[in-house]
Amino acid sequence: MRIIVDIFLIFGCFFAFAGTVGIIRMPDSFCRMQSSTNIATLGTLGAVLGGAVYSFWSGNIGTGVKVLVIGMFIVLTNPIAGHAICKAAYKYGIRPDKKFVCDDYGRDIADGK
Amino acid sequence: MIYLKKTEKLEKGGVCLKKTSLSAVISTFILCFVFYMLFTFAFNLEEILVGAVVSLIVAVFTAKFFIHDNPFYLFSTSRFGSLLRYVLLIFPKELLKANIDVAKRALNPSLPVKPGIVKVPSDLKSEYALSMLANSITLTPGTITMDIAEEDGKNYYYIHWIDVATTNSEKAGETIKGTLEKGIGGIWK
Repeated sequence: MRIIVDIFLIFGCFFAFAGTVGIIRMPDSFCRMQSSTNIATLGTLGAVLGGAVYSFWSGNIGTGVKVLVIGMFIVLTNPIAGHAICKAAYKYGIRPDKKFVCDDYGRDIADGK
Repeated sequence: MIYLKKTEKLEKGGVCLKKTSLSAVISTFILCFVFYMLFTFAFNLEEILVGAVVSLIVAVFTAKFFIHDNPFYLFSTSRFGSLLRYVLLIFPKELLKANIDVAKRALNPSLPVKPGIVKVPSDLKSEYALSMLANSITLTPGTITMDIAEEDGKNYYYIHWIDVATTNSEKAGETIKGTLEKGIGGIWK
């Protein structure tokens, strides 16, 4: 049983590590946002599932349920912050050094004005 | 996303928030109460009383933001079944695939990214379906929904995509959200 918990934790740690490396290495803020979703989804979900399995196994049903609910709320609230930050960065005028391959949003906003 | 659409409509001088119905308040109250009990996880009389009072206050003030439609829409076997299938099977599979893909890109020494913003049409109609799909797209690494726009009765997403394989909006939509959209289409129209 302990091995299952460890597998979940290592899984979460790996994706958190990959996301952190991505945040440092990515060329502009939008791509950094993409990499940070990596941490928020499978990074935390791995840790949350590991914690839940551990607490169910050791008899703390209350803790296990709480940990699962916390994971659910992270999944529900994270994307809202993500798209708000991304849109705010774009509207503020942040553009990458390397050009976008295509920029439909900028084109349509310019048309709208 | 629901929020954005509402404010757009308000600016055009049209629809306001709908009136709250009693069933909306009751269902919000039940949801709040269930989560209160799950978080405290202590089943004695005081906790239950405090939880009921707090959830009632919260429900009265937030039901109009929370439920615009029939609150018992999901109480049907096929809809609830497809919701469960989406949450437990379809979405985790896509999440895992996208996570592995972005992790590979981040750890790859040559950093193969081709960022761009594509405009993608969607066949979904209801606000819940649109916001659920937008959140699912944002939650999968590699794609972030930036905005939603309504043109000629059709809804379009603006999606920041880390690896633009095609600039054709139909094909891009199929790659980004093909399976997700089918899964959500079974729940909401």
